[in-house]
Amino acid sequence: MPSTTDWHPGDDQVVVVRGPKPGGAGGAYRIFGETLRGLKTTFARVVEGTNTIAYPEEKVAVYPRFRGRHRLHRFEDTGLEKCVGCSLCAAACPADCIRVVAAENTPEHRVSAGERYASVYEINLSRCIFCGYCEVACPFDAITMGNDYEMSDYHRSDLIFTKEMLLAEPLERAPIRAEGE
Amino acid sequence: MPRPEPQFITFSIDGREVQAPANEMLVDAAKRGDVEIPVFCYEPKLGAPVGACRMCLVDIEGIPKLQTGCSTPVKDGMVVHTQTKRVKDAQESVLEFLLINHPLDCPVCDKGGECPLQDVSFGWGGGKTRFIEPKRHFKKPLELSPLVAIDRERCILCYRCVRFSQELSEDYQLVLHERGAATFVGTFDGHPYVAPFSGNIIELCPVGALTSRPYRFRARPWDIENSGSVCTLCPAQCNVAFTVRDDRVLRVMARDNDEVDDGWLCDKGRFAYQSVHAEQRIVAPMVRDGGVLREVPWARAIEEATLALKKSGGRVAGLAGGATTNEEGFLLQRLVRDVHGSPHVDSSAGLPRAGLLAMGDPALQATVADLEFAHTVLVLGTEPVDDMPIVDLRLRKGVRRNRMTLAVATSRPSSLDPNAVLSVRYAPGAEAAFVAALSAAFYGGDVDTPARAAGTDAGAVAELAALLRTSGGDEAGDVVVLYGERVLAGGEAVTQPLLKLAGALGLSGRAGAGLLGIPAATNGRGLREAGVVPDAGPGLAELATAGADAAGIAASLTAGDTTVLYLMHTDPLRDQPQRATWDRALDKATHVIAHAGFMTEGIREHATVVFPAESYAEKEGTIVHPDGRLQRLRPAIGRPAGVRAAWQVLDELMRAAGVDTGLHTVHSATRQLFESVPFYAGLTVDTLGGKGLRWWEDEARAAAWPEPAKPGLLATVASSTPTYEAAATPNGALRLGTFKSIWASPEVEASPALKFLHPTQRVELSPVDAERLGIRHGEHVTVGGDGASVAAVAHLRNESPAGSAFLQSGIPEGAANVLEGPLVEIRKAQST
Repeated sequence: MPSTTDWHPGDDQVVVVRGPKPGGAGGAYRIFGETLRGLKTTFARVVEGTNTIAYPEEKVAVYPRFRGRHRLHRFEDTGLEKCVGCSLCAAACPADCIRVVAAENTPEHRVSAGERYASVYEINLSRCIFCGYCEVACPFDAITMGNDYEMSDYHRSDLIFTKEMLLAEPLERAPIRAEGE
Repeated sequence: MPRPEPQFITFSIDGREVQAPANEMLVDAAKRGDVEIPVFCYEPKLGAPVGACRMCLVDIEGIPKLQTGCSTPVKDGMVVHTQTKRVKDAQESVLEFLLINHPLDCPVCDKGGECPLQDVSFGWGGGKTRFIEPKRHFKKPLELSPLVAIDRERCILCYRCVRFSQELSEDYQLVLHERGAATFVGTFDGHPYVAPFSGNIIELCPVGALTSRPYRFRARPWDIENSGSVCTLCPAQCNVAFTVRDDRVLRVMARDNDEVDDGWLCDKGRFAYQSVHAEQRIVAPMVRDGGVLREVPWARAIEEATLALKKSGGRVAGLAGGATTNEEGFLLQRLVRDVHGSPHVDSSAGLPRAGLLAMGDPALQATVADLEFAHTVLVLGTEPVDDMPIVDLRLRKGVRRNRMTLAVATSRPSSLDPNAVLSVRYAPGAEAAFVAALSAAFYGGDVDTPARAAGTDAGAVAELAALLRTSGGDEAGDVVVLYGERVLAGGEAVTQPLLKLAGALGLSGRAGAGLLGIPAATNGRGLREAGVVPDAGPGLAELATAGADAAGIAASLTAGDTTVLYLMHTDPLRDQPQRATWDRALDKATHVIAHAGFMTEGIREHATVVFPAESYAEKEGTIVHPDGRLQRLRPAIGRPAGVRAAWQVLDELMRAAGVDTGLHTVHSATRQLFESVPFYAGLTVDTLGGKGLRWWEDEARAAAWPEPAKPGLLATVASSTPTYEAAATPNGALRLGTFKSIWASPEVEASPALKFLHPTQRVELSPVDAERLGIRHGEHVTVGGDGASVAAVAHLRNESPAGSAFLQSGIPEGAANVLEGPLVEIRKAQST
């Protein structure tokens, strides 16, 4: 049994090749040449002027397919909710952050187009990993990933978004990048 | 008919040699070779297959066309293929046809996620359809009954529900209307499908056509957890699985146990779970303060109870109801007997120790499954559909499938009469005389006198005796006597001739035959074995001093000899006869300490300390099935904040009295119980397992059953002449019989879905008597006797014997126990 002290890595050892020894022409190149090469990029940007984005006054526009905060939708013509409370999003959710409790529509109180509707629809955004599986699972296109990314809050409980919050327009919409921008 | 002996044959499926019992259906036999054949209509529980859905087509060598696997019995040397292209094409076509009219609304459908049609389409379907025409449409959803919703568009016409109604529960209500694509399921007359077992069709439906209304849209399969336990709402003790979401019970499903429930549930078991979360439930301890029960902290309630028990100076009595577990009963008798030194403990067993020992002799016991395979079953003094509903299905199955001969001997007309070869009626309360007559018919004694006293026909008794004697053809066959334990109220006058009868039929020690008693309350047998009887301790051990039974406790309370009554899940005003006596007795008691889940009359009026009781979904412990099966209750959900386990309360009360109980968990109580009952020796909660265990099947445990004090009750009875009280002669008045409906329980009252079934008082009369009294069906009448009277609605039944009237017990107002009987008079109610 070979001890650890006389361990020999064998022939396929990795040899770290370091740069030339300090001093000489090589040393001078490393000090000036490489630094200047970097500065070339820096100074080339000077002519563009400053490019600071003053968040939160200014916001970065996101791409259209950016997966931000979820949104629930209504039918535009009837105003009924598209969601029927089928819980498939909850089943698909890998973070287990969606809770749906369904109830039955009555003729007097019709909420969705189907027989059932979601009486409770909650997404715990502090758990959500924004994977978009809920959107893929939804058979009625009732839930989509929106573009909003500003969701920080002071209390965890405030990060549980209810159905009303998800159905409502976000208070401030995240700017979206136009095609080809 | 006795159980058939399976003969194994060998056949080949998909190239595998598989052993299976001869004549088993291919679908079942294939499972033995790990081959799954998809089915919709086939369900072994429903009996003979119908081959309606064609999903199970298989290729059998030597038969040119594809055969249905569900209705083809397997034969020796059969070669079956399930993976050939021909079979695949057939399966895909069948599914394509099934889905032609099936709406694809799975996201809305309650069955989605646990739907056989989804599973089979996914596993065996072609995945596409060529059908572009509009689908069939029906109005939906409709109420098939207040409990079941029907969506006819989703129905694939598998006949399961119709077969259940026609062949299992035999209520003959569901039929298929119309023909072809227009076929739909409905009741034959369009009325709601209300029957004691209607909920089973929800579980049978392989698609989402029949759904539970109380569970409608409550949860999806991935939101829930199923938790197995046992239903304690009646002595049948069906094995159930609670569907739990967010710590609430949302549904109850059958958990198949062939030896207990055969995989069925009654509607009470299926829907009364709602009472667990009912608003009326008591969820905090209460103490009577200034005449009113007020909610108090636990410490105060315990203190109050401790003081009351202490002050009584041992003048305590304990009364346990059916929902009490073995552990609770065991601890209650410890509290009353060992800690407070009073012998008065009862669970309304109704028999002295000697009688219990003789009737409970392990050699005489029959099992529930024996009912199905016996040659003859005698139903004596019980209405199974009310007293132990699942047994009703078992008896019907025995008659229909196993050619079992059914004989019914009851005072009230039974729903099993149409299935019985012979039905004999006797006067209410004349069980002793009737059994004496039957036993005399066996031994060649005088039949006429006891038969006349029982108000029955001696010829019919002789016929019944002949039927029992020749049950197995020429020789005596397997006979099971299914008796309601209420008939034993006559004491030795009933048990002696009954045991004599059992001796004559050779029931002792015979497998597949024996006696099966239905206790009046759920855990009647367990409480008895745990020692909650006046004259026997745990394990029915002999006691130095015998206490008073329930009636004796009432008398002793009235006389002031007992001052504190400890009620365990029972309300004497509901559960005991002689309501007026109990009312007085409870009034006289200085303290009534009660564990109760609901504010029933006795608790509301008389209890001084009320401890909230756990519901059956929250309870942990063991109970005993009427056939001796120890079953384990497991908690499915947590208790409400203010509720404590009854064993904890009893433990605290014992500790407060300075006794070290040695209890830490409910399992330590179970262990103490199993250690102190000799015939439970060696059992643990683990050996009981999920399906329970019949303790007397183990020879060592059966041998530990205590010997009766008078040895050889069976042998000596022949010499003694039984004395019996003659049934009262009507002489113008009517004999009062009582019955307790399956729906008469506080749990049903508290369940919104079942409320419509909760019974109101009705008096069942024969048309002959009604004509004499000038009463019409549905008329309001008063039934009176001994100064008390009850308002009821007259209900005329053609089958009802003349001279008797039957009233309901166990209901909140105007129950039968208001009247003391035995004779009553019926008058038209004064119109106001």
